[in-house]
Amino acid sequence: MNVIGYGICVIGAALGIALAATAVANSMARQPEVQGRLFTVFILASAFIEALCLIGFVVAIM
Amino acid sequence: MGDAFQQVSDSMGELIESFFTTPIFGDATVGFTITTFYFLLACLIMLAVFFAYKRKMEGTLVPHGFFANGVEYLIDFVANDVCKGALGDTWKQHFPFLATVFFVVMFGDYIGMLPTWKAGTGTTGVTGAIALMSFCYFIMVGMKKKGVFGYIKSLAPSGLPAPIALIVWVIELFSTFLRLITLAVRLFCNMFAGHVVMGVFAIMATTFVQPMIAQFSAAALGTGAMSILWMALLILIYLVELLVAFIQAYIFTLLSAVYVQLAEAEGH
Repeated sequence: MNVIGYGICVIGAALGIALAATAVANSMARQPEVQGRLFTVFILASAFIEALCLIGFVVAIM
Repeated sequence: MGDAFQQVSDSMGELIESFFTTPIFGDATVGFTITTFYFLLACLIMLAVFFAYKRKMEGTLVPHGFFANGVEYLIDFVANDVCKGALGDTWKQHFPFLATVFFVVMFGDYIGMLPTWKAGTGTTGVTGAIALMSFCYFIMVGMKKKGVFGYIKSLAPSGLPAPIALIVWVIELFSTFLRLITLAVRLFCNMFAGHVVMGVFAIMATTFVQPMIAQFSAAALGTGAMSILWMALLILIYLVELLVAFIQAYIFTLLSAVYVQLAEAEGH
């Protein structure tokens, strides 16, 4: 049951990071000169998303 | 092969248990635990590195050699990418604090990557303490800049009608305290989950090779060959974890810088 719940949690996080990565890749293709700042924003956004997923992981195995 | 998988899931509990912190003296709530010990060790290594760096840089402004250049690169990274990027003009004032946070977290993370050593940041106690420091720091910066009541009032944006402003203020207050929890839990979860995943693959690599050692047969050879795959995955995960340790230190510092910037900002 825990594993199933965590699987559902991962779907959400994967979609979130995928959306962020798509947007960043698109923006970099349009405007390569803002690469550095976009990378920071991307890392920040994925950190927030990933944190939810990791909290799910820890809750699932406890 | 089914037996091996069963054995792995049997030893999961023991594995997870081994990542919880154990007290050396006192108890796990108030006392000196094994994680605290490794955290102190990480701090000592950090101090040694920086004193060595300072001695090397004495009387010169140009770093020579791999060591001095490496340390200078990291310091430059914090100064340019984190502080200047997030804070703008006032970065010099907050740089000492943010650089300290970055290096403490980074050394705490990396000390856990050495085999059989534990991550200094692998418990909510230690990460909570670092998060509390950065929480107090940005609140103090905000209060210094706007005054105590000015800061408390500035949590809600100005120019809202009274009832809505109150609701927004309560939500903002809640989210401010949530920052403390998310900072601590994010770092802890990343370290904990990373070590558990590495541990699972390490256990799999040993369990799958055991039948081959006990009694050599064709079936056992097939199972044993699987452990090469687990070994390769373990090395891959280890490399990812090396990256994650650095990224977590970066994110922790970046978020602290963003919070400081928000506390300083004039009206939002």
